[in-house]
Formats: sequence, C-alpha cells, structure tokens
Amino acid sequence: MKVSFFETVRYQAPKPLPSEWPVPSGIYNPDAGARAYRGMIERLEFVEALGFDWVSVSEHHYSPRILTPSPIVSAAFLAAHLKKIKVALLGPIVPQSNPVRVAEEIAMLDTMAQGRLVVGLLRGTSNESLTYDLNPTESRERTDEGMELILKAWTEPQPFGWQGRHYRYRTISIWPRPLQQPHPPTYALGVSREACEFAARHHLGCGVSYGSFEGVGRATKYYREQCARYGWQPSSDDIIYRANMLLADTDEEAQDMLRKLPGQAPFSMRPGVRDAMMTIDSRNIAGEARSPIVSGALPTTFIGSPDTVVEQVRRCRDVVGAGVIDVSLHPPGSNELEPLMRSLELFGKKVLPRIRDI
Amino acid sequence: MAETAFREGYVDADGFTIRYMQAGEGAPLVHLHGAGGLRLSPAHELLARRYRVVAFEMPGFGNSPVNTRTETMPELASTMARAVDKLGLDTFNLMGTSFGGKTSLWLALQQTSRVQALVLEAPAAIRQEGAAPPAGTPDEIARRLYAHPERVSAPPIDPALRAKAQPLVQRLLGPHRDPDLESRLQDLSTPTLVLFGTLDGVIEPRMGRIYKDLMPNCHLVFVYDAAHAISTDRPEAFTEVVSDFLERHEAFVISRAETVIHP
Repeated sequence: MKVSFFETVRYQAPKPLPSEWPVPSGIYNPDAGARAYRGMIERLEFVEALGFDWVSVSEHHYSPRILTPSPIVSAAFLAAHLKKIKVALLGPIVPQSNPVRVAEEIAMLDTMAQGRLVVGLLRGTSNESLTYDLNPTESRERTDEGMELILKAWTEPQPFGWQGRHYRYRTISIWPRPLQQPHPPTYALGVSREACEFAARHHLGCGVSYGSFEGVGRATKYYREQCARYGWQPSSDDIIYRANMLLADTDEEAQDMLRKLPGQAPFSMRPGVRDAMMTIDSRNIAGEARSPIVSGALPTTFIGSPDTVVEQVRRCRDVVGAGVIDVSLHPPGSNELEPLMRSLELFGKKVLPRIRDI
Repeated sequence: MAETAFREGYVDADGFTIRYMQAGEGAPLVHLHGAGGLRLSPAHELLARRYRVVAFEMPGFGNSPVNTRTETMPELASTMARAVDKLGLDTFNLMGTSFGGKTSLWLALQQTSRVQALVLEAPAAIRQEGAAPPAGTPDEIARRLYAHPERVSAPPIDPALRAKAQPLVQRLLGPHRDPDLESRLQDLSTPTLVLFGTLDGVIEPRMGRIYKDLMPNCHLVFVYDAAHAISTDRPEAFTEVVSDFLERHEAFVISRAETVIHP
C-alpha cells in the first residue's frame, strides 16, 4: 500500500467565521493565511520524514476549508520545498479550466520537479461549478472533452487544432512536454460511470473518494470491468482511495472524536441554491444515480486505534482494490492543528510501517 | 434534408459518364467521396450555403457501371480533373474523404495551379499497418464509420453497390504507406487541412501527423467525438473549420470568435 497525505492548509481564523459558502473574503486575515502556508511546509517536511509516498493537493474555492484555489501553485510550492516526496495534483477542476493551460502547467511542473508529479483530473464537487459560472448541466461533457484534450496536448508531436464541442483551438503545440513520458501517472477522479470509462479507455488510473468501501468499490469494480473491455488490466497502483481518517491510541478515543464532529459541512450553500443544485446537478456511482453532495459532512471510513485502522486498510485493499490511500488526518470540520499533528505522528509510527505489505 | 437542395447532373470524361450532385453559389468546392460511394451529409448542405459544392460520384461507384478500366489512383485523379474541366471550373477548392482523400492528393499534384486549397477528411493515403476498411452488414459498417449513427440522415449505401466497387477500391488504394506519393507530397505547397475524428476506428487519428511531417503547408485538426465519417458525426463543427480554412487558409489560426457578453 502506498500512502498519500492530503494537505488542505489549516487556516486558523482569529475570529469565528460565518458558515455560509461563499465565505466573505473580507473576513480573511492575511497574517493567519501566511501562518497557515508556513505551517503547511513545516508539516509536510514532517510528512516527508515519516516516509509518506505522496502529498496531495486539491482545488477548492471561496472558503478557508481547503485553502488551495490553485492547486498547481500549491503543487509547485511544495515541489520546491520538499525533496523526495511525490506531489499529487488531485487535481485541476477540468471543466472550468483552459485544458491547454493545464497541460502546459503540468508539463512544466513535472519537468521542474524532476518527474515527481502525479496528476488527477476531475469534474469537481457541485459547489465548485458556482465558482466561475459553470453551467452544472455542461460540466460532465466539458470534463470529458477537456481531459481528452489535455492528453492530446501532452502526446501529439505536431501542432494541431481542436474542433470540440466546448473547446476550440486552431493551433496547439506545448513546450515543455512532461519529463515523465508520455505523461505523468494520471488518474481520472470520480466514481461516475463516465469517469471510470474515460480512465479505462485512455489507460489511466481511477481515483475514488469518501464513500464507504462498498460504495466506492462498486465504482472501482466497474472501472476494472471497463479496463478489461479495452483489453488491459489495471494494477492496484492504478486505484487511489481518498478518505477521512480518525486515528487515536484507542478505539474509544477515536469514537469519542467522531461523536464531537459537526454533522454538517463547515460551509454550506444557501438552502435555495442547494435545493436547486440537487435537481440540476446529475451524479452517479458506476451508472447508478446518487445525490450530489451539497451539504452534510463527508463520512469517515478509517477510524480507531492503529490496530483497527490497519485492519480497515486491509479491508479497503480487498473491497476497493486501492493500492494508494490518500488520507485526510485532521478531524473533519475542525481546524485545530494539535489533533492533526498527534494523528500524523501516530500514523507514521504505528500504522504506516504495518500497511506497506498490504 | 441534404438531398433536397442538391441537383443531380452528369458529365462525360475519359469515356465515363460521371454523376454529380451540385448546390450553392460562391467559390467552387469539389468533393470526392470515400470507398462506400457518394452519400450526401448535412455538411454538404451547410457548405453549400457558402460554396458551390460539387460532389462527384466517381466512375465505378453507386449505380455507375463496374469500372474495370481505371488501373491506378493517379489515373482516377486525372479522370476526375477532366470531369471538373467539363463543368468549366478553372480554379477550385478540393475536398476528399478517406479513399477520395488519396484521389484528391493525386489530383492536387497533377493540377497544382488549379487547386486553391485542399481539405482531407480522414484521408486514407497513409494508414496504420493492417488497417481494415469497414465491411459486413450496413449496421456493422455504421458502427465502424460513425460515433453518432443517430445523426445519419441519408439511407445507407446499398450493400450490393458497395460490394461492386470494392475491387476498384482494392486496386487503387495502394499500400498503407506509398513511397511514390509521399515523396511527391514534400513539394506540394497547396494549403492543406487534414481532419481526423478523435474516435476514428478505421484509420488511426495519429496518421494525421505524418501529413504534417511531409507536406510544407499542412494543418492538422482533430474533431472531438467524431469517428471516421467526421462530416456526418459533427457536421456543424466540420463545416465551421473547413469554411474558415477555405476562406483564410493558414490565417485561419487567428481567432475571430467574439467574447463580448454585453456591450
């Protein structure tokens, strides 16, 4: 099992924040922001020393929950400060990006980071479509087309034009190309039928997140079936599972932490927006309709003492087939640093060495 | 819808009576079809709004008599050049689809000063080794040709007529790489647009780059979510880029898209 640390930048607000998304940016405290990014580097130096394989970053906007609106900037900063650990850019929200720019920036960063980059491409969570005025009903199609264009930009040796549905370019010829050839290890992120099929068709990995083992396992099973249809077999390294982890010395302590968690997402959309989004934004797990996630806390699927968590990781390997777990170790909804650092140390010493062979 | 605007005509050339379908006004755009024969698509109709579109049915295809005379692709190209002469067209744009893409390349080589611009839709002049043309029932053929068979408006080509032309296709298509043609292409400076659908299951889209490697004035465009029959799968997208290229040649890379939302 490979292990990735999901870095979200812990912004500690000097004053209580409103709970509505988008969070007014006037409340942002620049000094607290600077502390958060400094703290990120200190934490990740520790993460690297503990022997994690990857550190991952994601794209989220308009709130302090995950302070990385531009994941490529985060990834570049991390790659420059850290020495050995791979940087997993999971990832640019494709439908609201310029795919050619994404291809260029990733190629550039992969080269500057001496091939230490891992890439995930995704549609993004429901609220993110509000960020740059993206029509949620077009986001699926824009994602598929954008991902295909990114792959083409990385691999096509001659200048080419792209006559798409949502993107049109008359001439594309990126410099530099990625150091890792033909491109960095790339995952289509998401549990949908479309994401799994895209990954299978283009021989990419598949990254799933936050659902129960059984839930995301339906998606990874579908992904493997589709790969077989396209005549190849993915390895366990081709499947990433991102999840919350609540780790404590004993199961009781971990369960106690879980009880104290808020049941709501830290920043939620206004009810009218949320309800409208529920009807507009269509989502599925391996083809089976599911509700878009617009409120409610994300589940915690690894929870307990080190012994318990090691067994859960083993079960995750069996049920999900994941060869990489991307863990969020801070208690969901909390921005306290101390519990995070305690879990991190416990994970590094008591869990990590025991899940290598899983 | 495409059939209605087009009028049928015939010209005699090299002893063949050659059928064509014609519509529209403006600069002439001559089209040479693929191995299945002439089948009008919505793209013909869209192109005819800006160009005088002349879609030929090459001798041996469709209801024309079996063609046992034409031995080589350059010969067929020369016959088609004579057919164009008969229509009184001095200079013209030339578009070739798949098999007809190779015919068009030969025609452009023979009539360099007359062909103003060349459009090659999934051309078959350069193919991956072992590339197999679509064959089988009309359904099986449709699955090879189209990413969106639901967009096909014309009835399928009669399997008997398609079968009748296959010996001619086999005789003229040549090897997957044709050194004679390829060496000549290096001197062909006609503005050329090569189009491949990203889902082409007959000729791999990566063949497109070889035309660019070889030809001094060649542009390559991928049409997303289209298979081999690009102009049927995505007629609007196909027509937009083809029209723009025919009008502006290499300057078509300069965008004219407007992004003002409100003045």
